[in-house]
Amino acid sequence: MSTVSTRGPRAVPPSRAGGPPPRRRTHQTPRRRTQEDSARRLGNALVAPVLLVLLAITAYPLVNNLWNSFHQVILTKPGETPWVGIDNYTRLLGDPDFTDSLTRTLVYTVISVVLQIGLGVVVALVLHHEFRGRGFVRAAVLIPWAVPTVVSALLWRQMFDPRNGFVNYVLGALNLPGSDITWLAGEWTAWVAIFVADSWKTVPFVAILVLAGLQVIPSEIYEAGTIDGANRWQSFWRLTVPLLKPALLTALVFRVLQSFLIFDVIFAMTVGGPGDTTETVTYLNWEAFLVRSDFGAGGATSITIVVISLALAGLATLAIRVRKEDTL
Amino acid sequence: MRHNISRSARRITLFTAATTAVLLTAACSGPTDEADDGVTTIVLADAGLGTEADATAKAVEAFESANPDIDVKIESLSTDGTQYMQQLRQRLVAGSTTPDVFKAADIEIASLAESGWLYDLDSLGADPDSFVPGAVKAGQPDGTTVALPWFANVEGVFYRTDLVPEFPATPADLVAAAKAGAAADPAIEYGLAFEGAKYEGAVTVFNLVATGMGGGLDLDNIASDENVAALEFLHDAIYTEGISPEAVNQWHEGEVQEAFSSGQTVFSTNWPFVFGASADGPVDGKIGFAPFPGGGGTIGSEMLGINAKSEQAEAAWKLVQYLTSVEAQLARAEATGNPPSLLAAYNDELFEIAPYFAQVAAVAENATSRPSTPKYTEISAELQTALSSVFANLAEPRAALEEAAEKISEINGS
Repeated sequence: MSTVSTRGPRAVPPSRAGGPPPRRRTHQTPRRRTQEDSARRLGNALVAPVLLVLLAITAYPLVNNLWNSFHQVILTKPGETPWVGIDNYTRLLGDPDFTDSLTRTLVYTVISVVLQIGLGVVVALVLHHEFRGRGFVRAAVLIPWAVPTVVSALLWRQMFDPRNGFVNYVLGALNLPGSDITWLAGEWTAWVAIFVADSWKTVPFVAILVLAGLQVIPSEIYEAGTIDGANRWQSFWRLTVPLLKPALLTALVFRVLQSFLIFDVIFAMTVGGPGDTTETVTYLNWEAFLVRSDFGAGGATSITIVVISLALAGLATLAIRVRKEDTL
Repeated sequence: MRHNISRSARRITLFTAATTAVLLTAACSGPTDEADDGVTTIVLADAGLGTEADATAKAVEAFESANPDIDVKIESLSTDGTQYMQQLRQRLVAGSTTPDVFKAADIEIASLAESGWLYDLDSLGADPDSFVPGAVKAGQPDGTTVALPWFANVEGVFYRTDLVPEFPATPADLVAAAKAGAAADPAIEYGLAFEGAKYEGAVTVFNLVATGMGGGLDLDNIASDENVAALEFLHDAIYTEGISPEAVNQWHEGEVQEAFSSGQTVFSTNWPFVFGASADGPVDGKIGFAPFPGGGGTIGSEMLGINAKSEQAEAAWKLVQYLTSVEAQLARAEATGNPPSLLAAYNDELFEIAPYFAQVAAVAENATSRPSTPKYTEISAELQTALSSVFANLAEPRAALEEAAEKISEINGS
């Protein structure tokens, strides 16, 4: 297929594409065009199903949610969908449950992203060093990332079980405080457990992204730094960190969005409890759709979450501006 | 090459079109209602798992051999209660004529009825008086019978007959008996195990204790003194009396049953499946089942309804009648331990099959259903949050119930 292109006639020279024999060269231009058209049609035909699927799974739900958010759509009242203007939005923003959960989610996002990226960088720096079995360790580090979130969340829920969980057992064996805590039953202890389960999965992801960034930094730069008298600390902050900015930006955008949209870990571990202390915005969104069957309120929550997510992604991009000279 | 490209393009287009057509046809075609040979086909939606699914299949087989002109297809939906309801609602919202017959939990019936998805069973000649009164009420949200109980589960208090010679008469006696039992047997770790996780099970436990103490799930009066006392009882069991572990606020039926079946607790709240689950274990033969002191109990029935849009209502009604007959209920009770919903099924034959059904019947006698309202799921979610806060010692029982009461009245007003 490498000879098929929609870019222009030059991309498919007849000689290389096994085209018509030389005696027909007088008709080359119209033939080429037919060939081009055919190639383009094939290209379109091949892309069309994917485009349709993408439209169906991204554009359609978004537009549908937008429509729902301005109507009263309650699943148990089929056939009655009056226009309600911005009622769903005013009710949502005036609901203390939503504003509380938004604060909670944002606080968790900031704390978890800072810690997870910090840990990810540390892991990446370790993996960047030469040591025996490095290939094996690099592969092993990615395993948690490959485990489905619900599975890992359920595993961690078991590990935090006060009766026969691994966490309290280890704390007790090491004579550390906390071996008698029912982790998922306390407000901040539940958040610690959620953070641990979430980080177990996401720190390797950050580490691999950062490791890729580290590998493209040429060692000559460090040699030049050493000659200029920079110590290791200085070369880390003045050379490594600025040159890692593209990788860090990617990790930051991913992590900010994933943290803000955290749902499965919480749903599997705490169901938003104890009380409502671990209910996040996505949890409330789930509740609007599947507990209240209120697709109007659910749509308004979804659209609000999308807007906030876009704003956060924009902020994350601003936070680490990638200047041209930072990229190699 | 040109020929190759256009030929392969045509082939691919043809293949894509053909595949799409096949998939669309497969997606749109449903089971046919009536075959040419005069046999009527109806669809029964169920969420059975293991022994329950086997029991349903056997009952359907027996029905088919008694009614050769009716063919029943079992549509197995999700075994998760929440997902099951979502799948069922999707079919009903779409206006599907199938499933003709479906099961649904008692708390879902009012909401299904409000949407107009349930057939009027009175018009088909239903006899609601022949069923366990507490269970049949959920099937009559507006007075008309729109669903009948298939089996009537009931939650009560399990206790160790070897450690508790006489079942306590008051909640205070229960605390004392739990402490005495724990002192008498070194294998005992807890006095009372209950479902305190943030889910529907916490609401059924709360209703069980509250109805024993004179309260209940009266939606206009959730923060009543009796209900506050009931919630204080459960809170104090963990934090004052120390008869329940703090971990109960993470426990579901499974964990509570494990604690009881393995002989770690004197008392536990739970459903009759514990009898079967404890067979041949350390507590076999030492199990008592009673209402919470004061006569508390919670009914959790599985109901059978007919799709209002069903084109085979008469055949569907025959199936419902068969599944709720004494014969079918006894067979199911024997195979699965599901308590019958029919009063006439609580007879000597049943008590011979499994003597513990006599105790189940005693608990069922005074047990109450949860409120029959289309907004039940929403209301229950608020109650679950309140109960979870109290069981985690994050809120005072009265304050938590008052906040829940406020939210419930908002939900009912909207």
